[in-house]
Parts: sequence; C-alpha cells; structure tokens
Amino acid sequence: MNTIILNGSPKGNSQSCNSKIYAEEFIKNMKNPCEIKCIANTDPKELARYVESFDAIIMILPLYIHAMPGIVMKFIERLERTTTEGKYIGFIIQAGFMETAQEKYVERYFADLAKQLNYNYLGTVSKGEAAGTYMFPKMFKKVLGLVADLGVIYEETHAFDKDIVKKLGKPYELSKSQLRLLKLVHMIGLDNVGWHKFLKQNNAFDKRLDKPFLY
Amino acid sequence: MRTVVIKDCEGIAVPNAIVFDIAQMDVKNCIGCWSCWWKTPGICAFKDLDEFYHQYITADKAIYFSKVTKGFVSGDLKTIFDRMIPLYLPYTTHKTGESMHVPRYDKYPDIEFYYDGEFETDAGRQIFVDYINRVFYQFYSKNVTVKPIAEFMADGGNVA
Repeated sequence: MNTIILNGSPKGNSQSCNSKIYAEEFIKNMKNPCEIKCIANTDPKELARYVESFDAIIMILPLYIHAMPGIVMKFIERLERTTTEGKYIGFIIQAGFMETAQEKYVERYFADLAKQLNYNYLGTVSKGEAAGTYMFPKMFKKVLGLVADLGVIYEETHAFDKDIVKKLGKPYELSKSQLRLLKLVHMIGLDNVGWHKFLKQNNAFDKRLDKPFLY
Repeated sequence: MRTVVIKDCEGIAVPNAIVFDIAQMDVKNCIGCWSCWWKTPGICAFKDLDEFYHQYITADKAIYFSKVTKGFVSGDLKTIFDRMIPLYLPYTTHKTGESMHVPRYDKYPDIEFYYDGEFETDAGRQIFVDYINRVFYQFYSKNVTVKPIAEFMADGGNVA
C-alpha cells in the first residue's frame, strides 16, 4: 500500500522535533520506507492535492491543547472527501502529559474525520510523556523500538499492531498508586527540577511566576 | 464587566466589547519553542498577540464565535488555542487525578462559545462540544457554555 507519512509538528525538520524522530523510526526498518513530508514546510493546499495520489496517509504529530497543532488543522481543512474506495488514514500522536486519556478527544475527532473524508480509519496511536524524546533518546530506546516495529508490521499488514498500540498507550489513566507517587515527588519538589534547570540556564528563574499581561 | 470577543465567523456584532477578528489578524502559529515557559516566562516569542493576551486575561468574560470546519474549529482558531500556553506555567499538576497545566494568573474569563456551521452527524457535534468544554476546563475558565450560534441570535444577539 502506497503510504505517505506526514510530520505534523510545527518544528518540522528541526533536531528538536519529536514527531520527526517518531516518523523516521516508523519507516526505519521497512523494506520500502515510506516518503515523509513535513506539513510545516509545505503549502497546505498543494500538500492536500499531493496526498491524493497515495493509498494511505499516516500523520505523526504532537498534541497541542488536546488536539492537533494549528498548522495541521489548516492542512486538514484542505483535504477533500475522496470518491475512491479503499483509502486509509491513521494517526500517531506523541504528547507531553503522561496518560493517553488526554488524547481521547482528538482520537474521537480523527475517527469522525476519516468518515467525513471517506477514508478507512487505521486508528490513532498515542504515546504520552514523549516531550523529552529528542533530549534523552537513550531513555526512549524501548519506545522508539516499538515505533519501528509498528512500522514494520504496518508495511506487512497495512494495520497498526494492537499489542504495540496498547503498550505505547500505557498508562491510559493515572492509577491511584501513580498519583500517590506523583504527589510525593511534588512534595519533595522533584517534579519541577528539569524546568527550573532550564529557567536558570536562561536567567529566567526569578521571573518564572510573572504575570506579564496584568497591567 | 469587561467582555472580549474572539470572532472567527462573519456577520456578528457585540456592542461594548473588545473584538478580535481572527480574519483580520494573521496570527502566527505556535512553533513549540517553549520560550514562554523557560526563556521569557509568560511572554510569547511572537508579539502579535500581546494586546490580545492583556485583554483576555483582564476580561470577566470571553465570547467566542467559531466556524465549524471539517467538524472542528478552524486552523486559525486552533492556533489561538495553541498560543494560550503563555498564560499557564510550565509545571504539571495532578490534583484532579489527571495531568493538567498550572495556572499563571489568579483568574481566567468565563467562556461563552458559539459555533456556526453544520455537522454531518450528532455524534460529530458531540465530539466538537466535548472538545471545546475540555479545552476551557484545561484553561481554568470556571463557567463555560458551548452553544450553536442560533442561540446567541435568539438571546438578542446582534447581526452586523
């Protein structure tokens, strides 16, 4: 199945783009790796026309405010309902928050969008706590391995492997024990260590709680 | 009472309100640079929404007029949602039992959200309404209503 991968991150081809990393991982071990196009660097109208020549579209994108980034919606606006039967569309979301229930709103929308466009829905794969992928690739070795396997199986079966989707999607919600642990981490002040390190590096630590637009 | 209007559809007028007409604004897309979180806290690297941020965060109420495109908010309005991130802190709280952003300001405006457009199915409409409610829950607005634009007209809303 002739599939195009769309990187939906506004960071495009930048080294700090997690969606680019997941996209490259997805095609890495394919026999015939899919083409990857960047929504951020392409005219949405032209790209919408270009993807019509493919049997399947897989969008790999970050979660912005419980949904796709603005640039991705600007591209979706340009997609037209297909009259060709047998087309497929799927989504892979990498998000900052840990639990993938955060993605449930846009997952429902993507399923509905597939119907609107007369595409068969491959599903939406969600991975939480992914914001650090580009900063700490070693910590994400297992996750990236699963994404590569997802790609290999997709090439063979034209579907997202259910077991891998389930693994990547954990946790769906935060369990009581996870919440207790998070509360403890918060009490001893470990949860914000990373942010504070970056704020200090940028000489912005003292301003971290500023309310600049109250005037 | 201070009201700010964010308008993403034609033919609506709200008297005594500060109006931001998205069609006239050419808002820059969020590029995920996190400057507003770790370089210049609370301030976006782009300056095009500075007046909007001030008006929004000091308003008692924000009224949105949204069109419906492909069963969702337009890309332009989605970009406005994305650009709201400077109004929140980089931290995550789990107080509600799930991950949420942490407020930067003490209060956020109440929301009246009107949508203009048809949905292919009732399920599609529900997806949209649930999404909008979730956005403003995440954004710490206390009173949120999401209604079709016909209800704004029925309540005496003005047509421009």
